[in-house]
Amino acid sequence: MTALLKLRGISKRYGDAVAVQPLDLDIFAHDFVAILGPSGCGKTTLLRMIGGFVAPTSGTVEIDGRDVTRIGPEQRPTNTVFQGYGLFPHMTVRQNVGYGLRLQKKPKAEIADRVAEALRQSRLTEFADRSVTALSGGQQQRVALARALILRPKVLLLDEPLAALDLKLRHAMQDELRRLHQEFGGTFVFVTHDQGEALSLANRIAVMNAGRIEQEGDAETIYTAPATRFVATFIGEANLLPGERKAGQVKLEAGPSFADAGADEPVTTVVRPKAVRLLRAEEKADIEISGSLTEVVYLGDHIKCVVAVSDKQDVVVHLDVAVAPRPVVGEHVRLGWSIQQQRVVSA
Amino acid sequence: MESRSNYWLVAPSALVFVALFIAPMAFFVVLSFWQVEYFELSTEPTLANYRDVFVNYWRVMGFTVAVATATALLTTFLGFVFSFLARFRAGQWAQALLFIVLITLFGGYLMKIYAWKTILGNEGVLNSALMAMGIISSPITSLLYSPQAVVLTLMHFSLPFAVLPIYASMRGISDAEVEAARDLGAGRWPILSTVIVPRCQSGIVAGFSFVFLMVGGDYVTPLLVGGKITMIGNLIAPQFGAQFNWPLGAAMSLVMLLAAVAIIYLFRFLVALGSRP
Repeated sequence: MTALLKLRGISKRYGDAVAVQPLDLDIFAHDFVAILGPSGCGKTTLLRMIGGFVAPTSGTVEIDGRDVTRIGPEQRPTNTVFQGYGLFPHMTVRQNVGYGLRLQKKPKAEIADRVAEALRQSRLTEFADRSVTALSGGQQQRVALARALILRPKVLLLDEPLAALDLKLRHAMQDELRRLHQEFGGTFVFVTHDQGEALSLANRIAVMNAGRIEQEGDAETIYTAPATRFVATFIGEANLLPGERKAGQVKLEAGPSFADAGADEPVTTVVRPKAVRLLRAEEKADIEISGSLTEVVYLGDHIKCVVAVSDKQDVVVHLDVAVAPRPVVGEHVRLGWSIQQQRVVSA
Repeated sequence: MESRSNYWLVAPSALVFVALFIAPMAFFVVLSFWQVEYFELSTEPTLANYRDVFVNYWRVMGFTVAVATATALLTTFLGFVFSFLARFRAGQWAQALLFIVLITLFGGYLMKIYAWKTILGNEGVLNSALMAMGIISSPITSLLYSPQAVVLTLMHFSLPFAVLPIYASMRGISDAEVEAARDLGAGRWPILSTVIVPRCQSGIVAGFSFVFLMVGGDYVTPLLVGGKITMIGNLIAPQFGAQFNWPLGAAMSLVMLLAAVAIIYLFRFLVALGSRP
């Protein structure tokens, strides 16, 4: 299967500042891809290069087998939902949604039908003849989506689509986006700094940092097998245990050592709080470490324990709320996890 | 305004407006139906002044409206182009461009008129330059003292009044709107006609109105660079001075005012028509 969208060696420089380092990315048809990273990592610039709003310094953008690097956004088979939506305030909802079709000079009847259908799909029918300025944030978002999707883009680009919405609305819009992606069957690429949003919406995630893609893969791989220290910390909670690898043996500063193939270098071992267990007496684990409990917090769906395993190192453990007996602060505990549930990355 | 009880806050400005604008205008309306006979003001209502305006002065009136319309159209167009460049193309130079526009307001009105006299005159900068380059052998005498000279001078004077309202309304257009239009398939012209012009309607109409009203009422420029050209202002002013015929002056002013309102409404209608989605 060949990718629908291919980025090859694409980069962007503004004077001396590098926004995006030369990078490759393949996006396949029907994927829902998140470009995830902290602000300033170059993710929006990358999206704008795909949309044609920013000319890359080097590299090519190919969509559906066609090189579109030198083509403007008005001719690319992409449509964008902008962060500020960019709705036309001098038009009604219906006129906004029909804008692209009117530019294509489609017959009036066809435009009317397709707009009505798009409005129905986006549940905007009752607002059709209102000015877009009279709508709430969530409704404006839906107008922006309908206006872009009505043109049946090969790739729909979304720039921080949910950033401007409050928490409750954000969850509702996540469901809406998922539903639209299924109904529409298209390829969606969105930019976000919110790892939760990326995990809940996207089937593929590209994690960006400082102009580079640090890891690209499905959500589960990104979470369970982070390729770099940055990915591990940016997505979900993680315990980072520094250590040193020598001759296929990793020795953690906090004590334990284990076999791990790779070059001799300083490393970081990443283990998720959920993967760490409190060991009962006599119970064994691949990696064992002990310390004293400094914090026990009940968080509803789990109990968070902080264990000081050395002067400088804490390990966070998430326990099931049903755990009995409940550990108490000050208690000396043994922690353990299996070698499959940890990741060793370069420090 | 949040509540009705706050309306009294407009009272001071309303008072000034009524005393200095509405009242004199109302007096003008009444005055225009009176007549001066043998240097005596007769308060017998009559339409004679209006008959006089339409019979004897319609040519000048029509010419004035034509000059004002042409100047306002050209200036509004230039103002639009200038604002467009400042808002969408100039980047960090936008402020500098606007400053240039504002600074031309510092030079007085008469200063500009004399500047154009120096540029367009028979011995002027333009003719001398063309002659020095050997493009013409004798000065083009029609440069100065012509309708074109009047229009040019008035355009120069009124350009800032077109730029400022148009630029102000253009600033309200977000970059995302323009990008969205491109993204949805709009090329250069469709972006202008479907987004930028419709979004600047009020600024364009305001700019046009400022220019039209200033030019329509002007009577100094035609005097100095227009040669034999007479605009209605040149005929109205003396009615309140040497001619001592205030009623006729009032009638001329009111007819010109109505013509101006009509032209501005027509222009507004046309802009709105061209801006329909």
